[in-house]
Amino acid sequence: MNNNDVLGARVFDGIRIADFAWVGVGPNATMQMAFHGAEVIRVESSHRPDTFRSSGPRPAGQGSLDASAYFAKFNRGKRSVAINLPHPRGAEVARRLIATADIVTESFAPGFMQRIGLSYEEVREIKPDVIMCSMSMEGQTGPHAGFRGFGLTLQATAGVTGVTGWPDRAPVGTGVAYTDWVATHIGIIGILSALDHRRRTGEGQYIDLSQLEASTLVLDAGVIDAANTGRVARPLGNRDLRHAPHGVYPCADDHTSGDRWVAIAVTTDEQWRKLALIMDRQDWLESQQLCYAAGRLAAQDDLDDGITRWTSSQTVADVEQFLQAVGIPAHRASNVRDAHDDPQLAHRNHWWTSDHAVIGEMSYESPAWRLSDTPPPMPKPSPLLGEDSEYVYRKLCGYSEEEFQQLIVDGVVE
Amino acid sequence: MSQATNGASNGALSPYRVIDLTAEIGGLSSMVLAGLGADVVRVEPPNGHPTRRRGPMLREDSDSSLYWAQMNAGKRSVTLDLADAADRERLRALCQTADFLFESDAPGTMASRGLGYDDLRERAPQLIYVSITPFGQTGPKSMWAASDLIGHVSGGLSSLVGDPDRAPLRPSVEQAYNITALNAGSAAMIALHARNLTGRGQHVDVSMQAAMANTLGNARLYYEMDGIITERAGGARAFADRATRIIYPCADGYVAFVRVPASMLRLHKWMTAEGADPQFDAERWASIAIAGNVLPTETEVVELEAEIEQFFAARGAQALYESGQNFNVMICPVNTMQDIVDSPQLNAREFFEEVDDPALGRIKVPGAPLKMSATPWQTRPAPLPGQHSRDVLSDRTHPQPVGD
Repeated sequence: MNNNDVLGARVFDGIRIADFAWVGVGPNATMQMAFHGAEVIRVESSHRPDTFRSSGPRPAGQGSLDASAYFAKFNRGKRSVAINLPHPRGAEVARRLIATADIVTESFAPGFMQRIGLSYEEVREIKPDVIMCSMSMEGQTGPHAGFRGFGLTLQATAGVTGVTGWPDRAPVGTGVAYTDWVATHIGIIGILSALDHRRRTGEGQYIDLSQLEASTLVLDAGVIDAANTGRVARPLGNRDLRHAPHGVYPCADDHTSGDRWVAIAVTTDEQWRKLALIMDRQDWLESQQLCYAAGRLAAQDDLDDGITRWTSSQTVADVEQFLQAVGIPAHRASNVRDAHDDPQLAHRNHWWTSDHAVIGEMSYESPAWRLSDTPPPMPKPSPLLGEDSEYVYRKLCGYSEEEFQQLIVDGVVE
Repeated sequence: MSQATNGASNGALSPYRVIDLTAEIGGLSSMVLAGLGADVVRVEPPNGHPTRRRGPMLREDSDSSLYWAQMNAGKRSVTLDLADAADRERLRALCQTADFLFESDAPGTMASRGLGYDDLRERAPQLIYVSITPFGQTGPKSMWAASDLIGHVSGGLSSLVGDPDRAPLRPSVEQAYNITALNAGSAAMIALHARNLTGRGQHVDVSMQAAMANTLGNARLYYEMDGIITERAGGARAFADRATRIIYPCADGYVAFVRVPASMLRLHKWMTAEGADPQFDAERWASIAIAGNVLPTETEVVELEAEIEQFFAARGAQALYESGQNFNVMICPVNTMQDIVDSPQLNAREFFEEVDDPALGRIKVPGAPLKMSATPWQTRPAPLPGQHSRDVLSDRTHPQPVGD
């Protein structure tokens, strides 16, 4: 273990982000940069708090805006300043902060930043080489620019919901704010490529990220197919257009602590033969039709019935072990407890512990990547609302103690 | 040089070369970097990459893959036989000219060919070597066989997806692969900035399971804090021990709508404007949000749901979207892929572009996933197998930053 593993490398040391974004996508993107050393300052307000500050889970009896673990999940490693932006002097504070920033992020409904005098054109006047990234639902322009939504509903607009479900039932979508985890990365890649462009050329720029447009990327060839052939993808349950058998099957475990399922994906003919051997299905081994994917796709109902009968008499751990031993993709359908306790995720030290003044000790996700030479330090807990107000007003914005106290009295510091 | 021949001189990543050796899991990473102007070189076997034969196809024949066109847009192609020692040496030489390499083989496979990170770090110290695997490079499951479905179940997401009376579900197409690829793109950009500081590349280890474990919303937090195991709830938000309905049928499909108390006044106003004569007490439903502890009775919920269902059932998804949003009601259509192609919003923003694909002819493709004012996204077609072998393999100069 070298020193970096202990101390951590701050790749973005010296980079400051004035983060006006809220809820999921923006905060998740800036948090990844905070992990790697950027100084991210969340611009917040107690009158219009980030909705995640009001959500759960939170310790029993804790109603404050500082007690949400869901907010903490998205905001570790950041600072927080309270500014009443609609207040005439609030925008002045924001302008002073922006003058010290390399990157400005925001995810308000289009038009809000303009209304408070912080459009890109105005921000550029303050800081000519600034990189400003807006991350709205459907982009800054167009007839639906002002439409409202969040990840749970945007996945429907983006096409994810419509292809997720059973063929004989209504589509279901993912049950989580799925597009948040897609648009986040387009935001990070865009901002960091713009930052490298600025390093080389001195030129800043404006990024108009539409969460809708970014989210269509994960649909694979679905959109390009419809655009050129008119074919429209439909929900397939757990089936696959190319591979069979391919499904999630019930296991024999004790169901008192929740049902147990195992996913099996046969992706090669060799895996198929091994599966038939393990299941002791001589008839499947001898079948010419089932040798190849096309024949297995045609016989999916029978194959699924047979596999269901077999898995129903096995424990999920046994199925995983038997099939993985011979290289067949299989894994329990982990629930949140399984994911929390997963030995592989534990091996990666995936869940990072954070000791928050109000929430206490909890673990939260870490990035899906590990960097060999510049691993980041453990991030500090998410900030209390306005925790760094004095630092930002006094040190960064240059207000005197007297002015700062007056801004508190005037209701600019909320 | 390379960027000049590739026609991408004003992208944010124009100075950089990327070598793409991935299978299905990582193709989207370098596709995004190509859109940002990088010179992405897809290294394929002499008979073409296996995914060239993957559907959907544009025509009847198996050489017209729209999947390939989508996932390899903007890349160049070099054919190399990695079973051949001379070609492996060509690849090593190519790595000396490159800034990034993306690979998705099982841990140890690249090393067994003399192409592992440790084999290249001395010779190509600038190289950012990104490995994308189902579980990561080391650990108890690192050698487990996997697929996209395994990504969804091993990270836990499937437990939150699907109807309660049936199996946990995969969210349709290969999104675990693609979300992982986007994580790899973020990681590669962080490693680029690290290289700006240290002057050296490094090994980036990306795990699909970890990427999918990060999509669980607040559900794992509820387990850790309160011991609640959130379960899939059909067309509803999976939320701790209660679920909020999202999916409603309408005249021609479905809409997504969340009945949040804060929007009940707007809902009432909208339904009234549409001539629906809503009977529910909007003031009372809105007050539930403020009071918090005055919960509606089951009968009240059933009656309200029936009213909403009836209202939606008489109208089409796109019409509900347009009119509801104009009343600031958070409603969205459950779009099909065709609805996306026809979207007035996407078309107003000129999201779709046409390119001349060397294999498919003129096709319509999704364009920029983000609009960058100084370094615009570049939509370019996918390459033919080995289309750029001669150009790329004879060009031994490391691409230099271009500047403006």
